[in-house]
Amino acid sequence: MKTRTGTNTRISKSISTKPGTDGPVADSLLKLGRFLRRGETSEDLRSVFKDGGRGADTFYRDRWTHDKEVRSTHGVNCTGSCSWKVYVKDGIITWETQQTDYPSVGPDSPEYEPRGCPRGAAFSWYTYSPTRVRYPYVRGVLLNLYREAKARLGDPVLAWAEITGNPETARQYKSARGQGGLVRASWDEAAEIVAAAHVHTIKTFGPDRVVGFSPIPAMSIVSQGVGNRFISLLGGTMLSFYDWYADLPVASPQVFGDQTDVPESADWWNSSYLMMWGSNVPVTRTPDAHFMVEARYRGQKVVTVSPDYADNSKFADEWLAVHPGTDGALALAMGHVVLKEFLVDRRTPRFVEYMKKFSDSSYLIALTPRQDAWVPGKFLTADALPGTDASVSSAAFKTVMLDENGEPFVPNGSIGHRFSEADNGKWNLDLEGRDPLLSIADAPDYDGHSVAIDLPRFDVTPDAEHDTAGQQHAGAAGIVRRGVPVRVVAGVLVTTVFDLLLAQYGVGRPGLPGVWPTGYDDASTPGTPAWQEEITSVPWQAAARIGREFAQNAEDSQGRSMILMGAGTNHWFHSDTIYRAFLALTTMTGCQGVNGGGWAHYVGQEKVRPLTGYGQYAFGLDWVRPPRQMIGTGFFYLATDQWRYDGLSADTLASPLGSGTFADRTTADCLVESAKRGWMPSYPTFNRSSLDLVDDAAAAGREPAEYVVDSLRDGSLEFSCEDPDAPENFPRVLVVWRANVLGSSGKGNEYFLKHLLGAPSAVRAVESMPARRPKTMKWHESAPEGKLDLMVTSDFRMTSTTIYSDVVLPPATWYEKNDLSTTDMHPFIHSFNPAIAPPWQAKTDFDIFHVLAAKISEMSQTHLGVRKDLVAAPLQHDTPDAMATPHGTVLNDQPLIPGVTMPRLVVVERDYPAFAAQLGALGPLTAAEGMVTKGVKFNPDVEVDYLGKKNGLVASGPAAGRPRLSTAIHACEMVLALSGTTNGRLGTQGFRQLEERTGVKLAHLASDNEGRRFSYPDVQGAPVPVLTSPEWSGSEHGGRRYSAFTINVEHLKPWHTLTGRQHFYLDHDWMIELGEQLPIFRPPLDMHRLFDDSIVGATTASGATGSAGHAEVAVRYLTPHSKWSIHSEYQDNLLMLSLSRGGPTIWMSPQDADKIGVRDNEWIESYNRNGVVVARAIVSHRMPEGTVYMYHAKDRTINVPVAETSGMRGGTNNSLTRILLKPSHLIGGYAQLSFAFNYLGPTGNQRDEVTVIRRRSQKVDY
Amino acid sequence: MTAWDYLLWVAFPYAASGVFVVGHLLRFRYDQFGWTSRSSQTYENRLLRWGSPMFHYGILMVIGGHVVGLFIPKPWLEFFGVTEHMYHLGATWLGSFAAVLTVAGLAILIYRRRLTKRVLLVTTVMDKVMYVFLASTITFGTTATVLYQIFGGGYDYRGSISPWIRSLYSLQPDPSLMSDVPFFFQLHVLTATALFLLWPFTRLVHVFSAPLGYLVRPYVVYRSRDAPRGAGSRPPRRGWEKSERPLERSRK
Repeated sequence: MKTRTGTNTRISKSISTKPGTDGPVADSLLKLGRFLRRGETSEDLRSVFKDGGRGADTFYRDRWTHDKEVRSTHGVNCTGSCSWKVYVKDGIITWETQQTDYPSVGPDSPEYEPRGCPRGAAFSWYTYSPTRVRYPYVRGVLLNLYREAKARLGDPVLAWAEITGNPETARQYKSARGQGGLVRASWDEAAEIVAAAHVHTIKTFGPDRVVGFSPIPAMSIVSQGVGNRFISLLGGTMLSFYDWYADLPVASPQVFGDQTDVPESADWWNSSYLMMWGSNVPVTRTPDAHFMVEARYRGQKVVTVSPDYADNSKFADEWLAVHPGTDGALALAMGHVVLKEFLVDRRTPRFVEYMKKFSDSSYLIALTPRQDAWVPGKFLTADALPGTDASVSSAAFKTVMLDENGEPFVPNGSIGHRFSEADNGKWNLDLEGRDPLLSIADAPDYDGHSVAIDLPRFDVTPDAEHDTAGQQHAGAAGIVRRGVPVRVVAGVLVTTVFDLLLAQYGVGRPGLPGVWPTGYDDASTPGTPAWQEEITSVPWQAAARIGREFAQNAEDSQGRSMILMGAGTNHWFHSDTIYRAFLALTTMTGCQGVNGGGWAHYVGQEKVRPLTGYGQYAFGLDWVRPPRQMIGTGFFYLATDQWRYDGLSADTLASPLGSGTFADRTTADCLVESAKRGWMPSYPTFNRSSLDLVDDAAAAGREPAEYVVDSLRDGSLEFSCEDPDAPENFPRVLVVWRANVLGSSGKGNEYFLKHLLGAPSAVRAVESMPARRPKTMKWHESAPEGKLDLMVTSDFRMTSTTIYSDVVLPPATWYEKNDLSTTDMHPFIHSFNPAIAPPWQAKTDFDIFHVLAAKISEMSQTHLGVRKDLVAAPLQHDTPDAMATPHGTVLNDQPLIPGVTMPRLVVVERDYPAFAAQLGALGPLTAAEGMVTKGVKFNPDVEVDYLGKKNGLVASGPAAGRPRLSTAIHACEMVLALSGTTNGRLGTQGFRQLEERTGVKLAHLASDNEGRRFSYPDVQGAPVPVLTSPEWSGSEHGGRRYSAFTINVEHLKPWHTLTGRQHFYLDHDWMIELGEQLPIFRPPLDMHRLFDDSIVGATTASGATGSAGHAEVAVRYLTPHSKWSIHSEYQDNLLMLSLSRGGPTIWMSPQDADKIGVRDNEWIESYNRNGVVVARAIVSHRMPEGTVYMYHAKDRTINVPVAETSGMRGGTNNSLTRILLKPSHLIGGYAQLSFAFNYLGPTGNQRDEVTVIRRRSQKVDY
Repeated sequence: MTAWDYLLWVAFPYAASGVFVVGHLLRFRYDQFGWTSRSSQTYENRLLRWGSPMFHYGILMVIGGHVVGLFIPKPWLEFFGVTEHMYHLGATWLGSFAAVLTVAGLAILIYRRRLTKRVLLVTTVMDKVMYVFLASTITFGTTATVLYQIFGGGYDYRGSISPWIRSLYSLQPDPSLMSDVPFFFQLHVLTATALFLLWPFTRLVHVFSAPLGYLVRPYVVYRSRDAPRGAGSRPPRRGWEKSERPLERSRK
């Protein structure tokens, strides 16, 4: 401030006394200016006032004027489901901004409005992007072959049969996949080829060889639904996706008997202690993250757990940096502290009451003798109690507790009470005044009787003893001896689940035998904070403190401690064990089913809130039941021949305390067994066409089911999964829409290319040696390549999937169609609307499938006609099928009884010439047979009449007189009218039905909305909050925030499990064999020992092509969600490419980068037995040593160079991964461990992989 | 006097002037948002901080010199007592100083434009063409000055080039004045004329938008609506004029 001192006092005075400019020179210039222009200058020389001259504004005003503004959203699997304003000017979509009209959350909470993130704001770029698919495309080689054959033969189906039947022509077009050469075709011709392939496949191989894949219906319900309906009505196979994406937390069906039900994001605000565990909320849940940030102002404590310094750690009060994949150990140690301090040293009343009422902790478990100790066995059930006679229905499914006097009793609510007439009104959680014993030692007459039990542990380092010949691949496992108080009940030695839980967690009590820790700092035995420190690197004091705080907060706040968990902990091979350890924490602290508490798992936008209506529409349940629904992982494992390379021995996963039932078997054998027992679905099912089977039975004069059973018995019929490489068992047609299986979810990408498609691939593994091959599957010496005859993909942008497809169809984008959207993160249902008509030759998904259906129907007149189809359906969850396996005891050499020891066999009619008419009309079964969702039956007689009036009736043809479903809006109306969440009458009706079954009052949750029914115009107007419905486990009643299981906790409705309570303990034979009856720590798979992969951290030469002379390092390879994309969507968007580095990148630590001499942004090559990927290195201190991240779903369309390792272009993040099956995911036919679509199935996990990285030549070719 | 003389010293300058004037009008009318100096400061500023002021102050001095030398007739200066010797001293010394500044500045700018990758990437074809003509004009002018004024005996362009230019403006073009002018002066004049011809199509239009007005303008400018046209300032499009309400009409 020189001007204010010294000689310049005059200036300083003028500054201080009156507002001036920059000094006398500026003043005089400005004063001069008054004479040089028109307009009036203000006294203080700061402003000038002019008349007019605003012409220049016009440009900017024009820029922000639009011809229309349309509401739509983004059908992308991000869980956001934000509503957007889309602007159109001169027929061109200009951009989008966030909608602000979300219904209010109420006065006590921040609002949802506004929602949206940079990715969503970039979407309109796609409408006119260079990669937009504008026309139908067919690969030139195929098109020429087809045209030639059709010209000669005169019939599309015969032409297709010839091309695919001739090995020469088939090889010609299959080997050209992914090699470019897509040429424009007319809609008519492209549809004809696709239809011919369908008709030929159904006719020759059977309808279950037609396969459809389209994930996450919630993100665009009708677009998914119409294709799903198309596949279902044809008799084709729809693949599951939730388990295939490894987004399904298998622990949820295991513990809750529920696919996944979680609080909406506004409920985070209600939490006072929030742990973000493997979920990077600001990055992956961007529009919802504000609730977490805002809750911090309310005093919420935030703790993050992640191996890297993730973005969410910036918001956290504490960050626990855990070694990748070891989260389970940390959760167990926290559980150890909670059990010890809150349930043993001091019995926290709230926790004790919750445990007794809402968990299985008080149930009795029979102990089985083993050597000099005992091992936990099965739940004690009513059939074992004296005085139970045969008249008691389902006695083997009624589990037993001890009452306060130590007398056994059968509480209400187990699965045995769920289905029989006799137990109507008893399926509830009412303990009827009894106070069950949590521990045997609590009995008034407890005599101090206790026994030693053996429990498995999997955290031990493999020792030399296990490295002997033949055992080198065995997993490392050990035994820990503990003790429990016991009692003899009905002649059986039993203890409670709670007693076993304390033993498992290493929480000692005086007088019990076994090895117990001396304190939290005792690392010598599993369960303690110090023990976990050796595994996770989290200091034991921190683990103990956070565990204690979590529980203390739950006690103080009545259950408002929450764990927000995600893909970081859910995509591991053993993630079910990790999650069970998390869920144990929220259950033992009484947080589950409480607003602001419990688990909050957001992986995949899985929540179709109008579930029942969606099911009717998408699965075609109005015309034919049941549909064919397949576990995606199981399907791809066989179809892509990954089983030939796997050879993972199930025995290596088994507990040392097991009975050896997995000995000499691979996980592939487990898949076959599961399919044959009807546990998991299996499509293609048999090695003969399911249409021909019915004809053959008729020819033999037999009932079809009987004929099939006999043929299976005499070996003349086999399951396809026993010989997936025989041509008659190949899947033939794969229809992909709304999906990017090769660019996003295809674990084992290179195997897909090689075996499923027959395209060039970079598979580096060798097939299993004879000793490691599955014993129950047929081995062909040479593996088939190019199993698929047709891969057809509908996608509005060119992706890794479209470039490998034979036919590419151009669908509408999300701004060009009518549809519905819901998510688990907010309770609203809202709409897609067309801002413009689909440009170029694009059509909506709805129209595409109707075009294809019309062609198929036309060709069916001569080629298919009306056929009978035998559907083999798995044992279903939420039905009496779930009682097919008493005690979860797996018996061998059982008679084949459909629906009990093998799949149900159902014969249905397929009227192929009427197929298109059925697709576009609501069939009769919806009203005639009702609609069943999660065991609740709805009777929509009124609604079907209403739809007839609303949509109009079909005038003529096979579906004459039925309500029309001929536009996407008709379909939206059907979904809305037939769901309890959008139609109060059905919601109330469902609750009334549930009242009869449970005997508790529920209908009031919905009855105040009984007269409300949303139609499509309602959801076009603004997002509409859904109504409370028995389709879900929580309540929005009275405007409260949705949280899962509040109905169970507040209204005593049972969970859909064996006991009706949340399960700590699982007693199926296979769970016992795996040693996973209770939450347990299982480390990431040891890929070195199992598959001879490199050891993490090793810098030894791998010998890979081109690696000589380069330093190499082996690292854990994780593929988390990206900041600049939603899966593969947006990663090719110019705006997002500009914000990120663009193209494939791998994040690595400076330490690892030093080992191989790589600097930031240099090209590296990453490879393991599965394939190779080329990327640029991002060297960042964010990363821990020994672990790299490659954001998943990097399409091979952006900046992917030729790899030195393979000499081929490409590689995606999934080139380094492969499918690995866990046997416990394959269990079925037993209580909550029963199949339902996307509810249970093997996960497509991929986190356990290890890769070798080296610097490559910085000169890259494309 | 050949046809070439007429072509080079009459037709070409007039054509260039025409294109210069009409070109600017059209550019302003149809490409107002392209009317810019295309600043590359965000891509590189360390070289620019030296090169740009050197060049711009230099070229301003050069332009000033040209105005004095070309447009003010010799007798007028002599009337004010500026003798031939004084003029020559001024032109040579001040001119050389300006030339050194300009040439050095330009060299820095060209070096920067060519060798800074980010700047090269935003360089258009017209930019490159412009640079060729600007650089040659300056080079030839400097060469001529050095050759003839400093090392030669001195050439009095005020007796040939200057009257020729003034003859163009008085619409009585006299190409003969140029026929005996030394070669490098001729080249200098020709490339300069070509530069004027290209001017409206290059970033040089920014010369007319030099932000001199800011020196004398308050920093807040309020503009009232031009006329009560309703919302916004856009004139109603044909066919979309506001209709009068019946009441208003009946009052007329």
